[in-house]
Amino acid sequence: MVPTPYYIALSALLLTIGSVGVLTRRSAIMVFLSVELMLNAANLAIVAFARQWSASGIEPALSGQAAVFIILAIAAAEVAVGLGILVSIFRHRVSTDVDELSEVRL
Amino acid sequence: MIGFIILAAVMLLGGVGVVTFRQPVHAALSLVVTLLALAVTYVTLQAHFLAAIQVIVYAGAIMVLFLFVIMLLNVQGQEPAPHLAWMRPLAYAAALVTAAGITITAFVDRSPLPSADRVAALQGGSAEQVGTLLFSHYVLAFQLVGVLLLTGIVAAVSLAQRGNPAAPPARRGEAAPERELSHG
Repeated sequence: MVPTPYYIALSALLLTIGSVGVLTRRSAIMVFLSVELMLNAANLAIVAFARQWSASGIEPALSGQAAVFIILAIAAAEVAVGLGILVSIFRHRVSTDVDELSEVRL
Repeated sequence: MIGFIILAAVMLLGGVGVVTFRQPVHAALSLVVTLLALAVTYVTLQAHFLAAIQVIVYAGAIMVLFLFVIMLLNVQGQEPAPHLAWMRPLAYAAALVTAAGITITAFVDRSPLPSADRVAALQGGSAEQVGTLLFSHYVLAFQLVGVLLLTGIVAAVSLAQRGNPAAPPARRGEAAPERELSHG
């Protein structure tokens, strides 16, 4: 059994890679992809802790996996709405450059 | 430990690929590789139901939606990708080797079935356990997620409808986008 800190370190590395992508990418879709990477990094950390604390008696066993299930559903809804917003933005402006999109008035 | 190192390497390479690739399709496919490696990691973490759900929902639905939008909007990368003449034969050869390897392993490898304690250990993270948890302790969160998904569906459909030039305008022959935005 691989110790939990290894999984947490991997999750932290994925989170930092995703945040670098959010900060450096210019296209809105690429920013979205990096946000999905960060969400998956958090999911990995939660599942690793669920394995460690499974049946500890404090909470029901595998609560972390139920939480990750819900996070997955939330990410799916977020992607659907976010990509819908992107498509409707793209209908009016040709580029999805986030530097230009920062002046969008809503 | 070896499996963890291999999976971690694949995940990190895929993550770096998401951030680095100039072409959006390459970055999306790199994220698919990362998600599949993450699903295998879930299996090693005794989260079998989550691994299946990760493949079906994340790699199979969300990333497909991403690829649809990327190709629909025809998002341009920074520079066009060169056409590599050796790519197609290499792909065919790799697929052939993989299929042959899996088929031969399925017939040749006669490893004994896992022992009783290993089977008992694999019970953790099954669909039955996670489902029991979701429907008993976390049923309120589960129902709220259903409401959230319904809201997402309605929002996505209304967003797709608004840009449609064939849709009837709001009132008095004007498109009036601000009025529709105030609903949200």
